[in-house]
Amino acid sequence: MKKNLSNASVISLITAAIITVSTLFVPWWGMKFYAPQYPEGLDIIVYPSTLAGDIDIVNSLNHYIGMALFSNESFPELQWMPYIVLAFVVLILIVALLRRKSFLYGLIALFVIGGIIGIWDMYRWLKEFGTNLDPMAPIELEPFIPPIIGENTIANFVTHSYFSFGGYLLVLVFILLVFPLWKDRAK
Amino acid sequence: MTTKRIISAVLGIIAGLLVAVVFFADFNKAGENAAGDIKSKAEKVYVPYGELDEYYMMSSGGHSGQLFVYGIPSMRKIRTVPIFTPDPATGYGYSKETKEMLGGFTWGDFHHPAISETAGDYDGEFLFANDVGNNRVAAVDLSTFTTVDIMSLPNMGGPHAGVFVTENTEYIALPTRFARPLDNKYADLDKYEEEYKGVVSMTTFDKETKKFDLAYQIVLPPWSYDLSDAGKKMSGDWIVMTTYNSEFATTNLEINASQNDRDYIVLVNWKKLEEEVAAGNYHDVNGAKMIDPRDHKGAIYAVPVAKSPHGVDVTPDGTRYIAAGKLAPMMTVFSFEQTFEAIEKEDFTDEKYGIPVLSYESVMEREVDPPGALGPLHTQFDDKGNAYNTMFISSEIVKWHIETGEVIDRTPSYYSPGHSAAAEGDTVSPDGKWLVSLNKISKDNFLSVGPSHPESMDLIDISGEKMEHIMAVPVDPEPHYAQIVHRDKINTITVYEKDENRENSVWKQEDARVERKGDEVHVYGIAMRSRFIFDAQSDRPDAVTVKEGDRVFFHLTNIDLDQDITHGFGINEYDLNFEVQPGQTSTLEFVADKAGVYPIYCTNFCSALHQEMSGYLLVEPK
Repeated sequence: MKKNLSNASVISLITAAIITVSTLFVPWWGMKFYAPQYPEGLDIIVYPSTLAGDIDIVNSLNHYIGMALFSNESFPELQWMPYIVLAFVVLILIVALLRRKSFLYGLIALFVIGGIIGIWDMYRWLKEFGTNLDPMAPIELEPFIPPIIGENTIANFVTHSYFSFGGYLLVLVFILLVFPLWKDRAK
Repeated sequence: MTTKRIISAVLGIIAGLLVAVVFFADFNKAGENAAGDIKSKAEKVYVPYGELDEYYMMSSGGHSGQLFVYGIPSMRKIRTVPIFTPDPATGYGYSKETKEMLGGFTWGDFHHPAISETAGDYDGEFLFANDVGNNRVAAVDLSTFTTVDIMSLPNMGGPHAGVFVTENTEYIALPTRFARPLDNKYADLDKYEEEYKGVVSMTTFDKETKKFDLAYQIVLPPWSYDLSDAGKKMSGDWIVMTTYNSEFATTNLEINASQNDRDYIVLVNWKKLEEEVAAGNYHDVNGAKMIDPRDHKGAIYAVPVAKSPHGVDVTPDGTRYIAAGKLAPMMTVFSFEQTFEAIEKEDFTDEKYGIPVLSYESVMEREVDPPGALGPLHTQFDDKGNAYNTMFISSEIVKWHIETGEVIDRTPSYYSPGHSAAAEGDTVSPDGKWLVSLNKISKDNFLSVGPSHPESMDLIDISGEKMEHIMAVPVDPEPHYAQIVHRDKINTITVYEKDENRENSVWKQEDARVERKGDEVHVYGIAMRSRFIFDAQSDRPDAVTVKEGDRVFFHLTNIDLDQDITHGFGINEYDLNFEVQPGQTSTLEFVADKAGVYPIYCTNFCSALHQEMSGYLLVEPK
């Protein structure tokens, strides 16, 4: 078998695998809501396996505009996301073990496709929650779609959506996956 | 000709200016200084928006049975905490738990707050209150500023001389003002000397269960115990109390109880009595372990003091106790060291009612008698070894040095002060920054509200050599004593902990239900922005139907775990209202004795849709 990845590239891939595992324990994405009565801000923090922050308070406020309840149950992705992450880690380690550049191309393609699907999925949920408002809600609002990154104003609330540590770490993982392509480029 | 005209015109103008200056010019520059002075006083108490006062002042509300909480130095009133008095705004005395705690009484006479102490310093955990009116003691949890326990004390006759706590809050002590026969017995007033007794209740408080217990009671001669304090450090095992009516008068006390030239300070060694009680040396009287300190050598002594003393206060270092004269207008400084020495040497002049009387000359360190200062009532302390006394009759505060007795400064208070409170002023480490004079009268100081003038609290800056009167604020009747505690010592919670195992609590909307047990209807409901859910299965989750005569229990949990989202619960025409704080579960119990339809609504503004938070109680006729 033709092994065409250098030791440095293998180390890069193993590092990428370790970092990927570590993202399981940090938030990937978040939203922070500010209003005059919440100057300290309310948080929604999304970990790959669970929601955290002021979920109950946000739900009780969203009730006014008829938005569906946020909970771990409303996002089935959260239940199998850790397995996807772990499966990807296994794939990285296999590529590192086999040292085949062609496999690495496949891995990067998979990573990019996964990322695009992930962002599309998030957008889908944001659209679902923001536009599918209960018509019986006491306060009637125009449907809205909060941005994945950036600022948005709904009634008296200003929301900031942002990628968190996990998101940045995944960017780092991508760089570490691409690094061997440069390191072991044809001379 | 022209020159003459000009000269006369100029002279005329000059004369006019001179007259104007003489008549209208203000040569008194004091006005400007006063304005500057006012500005600096205002700056001292100005707490800008977004900043907080440095101290809490816990002020007794007297016969209102409430605690008034103020911020110092702004003197802004922050909260009224009901202790002995029902309060519809908070549901106190309406909810099942608080109604049981009040035990059918609707008022109390709260005189002397005492914040719990550790090593002689406020620890800020609980505040204790006495009820002179109905012989009770109460505890306020300072994490929520709510009353958590009230205990009725047997054998008492108005615990005016309390409450005070021993150095580590081992005991919360309450000596009686009025002597009374023990065990609720009847005895003719002609038998006062034999049958009537003074009693000190020594209560303990369990910080975990938040419950009082009566450890023991001390039976004393039928004198009137007026005020008291606990020793500190070297004197930590002792309590000191002033008495009047050593004459055993039973009528017209003002004259008859002021005949003897001397009354007493009573010293009791609580540590010794504690040991004796533990050894079983007590009698059971009406459920209380009653101990007579005269049966135990070394447990009680009397110190003669000029007649009808009022306050007695132990200095921060615990080495002295200072009596304020009231009718004999001076402060007397007694030394604990000399007292212990006299006890050791059995330097007694007399025995009164079986109590050894120590020689005044042996234990007295000095008498402080500022000329013209009349009616000293109470002593407070600063961090520089000074004492501050309120003078009721001469309406002033006198600052003097404990070691030398030298009078340093005197400042008028605005009409007849009773107590005063200094910042951390009766702990082992007073802060010496502020003193509040709690005035009994405030004649003409504020906008008139009719014949009943508001009382006044005067803020005095005591940080310098000279005292400086800063401001006066009105207060509801009637503050007696206050304690000023640094804000860092108070640790409040903002929401109650979500305890899923709590009795009667419901945390999920779908769990809200109504259960009938015979003629009792239990509603396990929730309050949330902005609706009630009493029965999740019902078509109308916010309506409850009962039968006339049913005993109804609304167990309500506020599931909004968000700060300041308090929900109220009022029932039309049923004279009922209570509230539940975020995360709290409370029960309202009543008999639905009126048939008809009664609206229920949230009485405490909770959100934009607060008005929509309502429901119905339907009472079917029999």
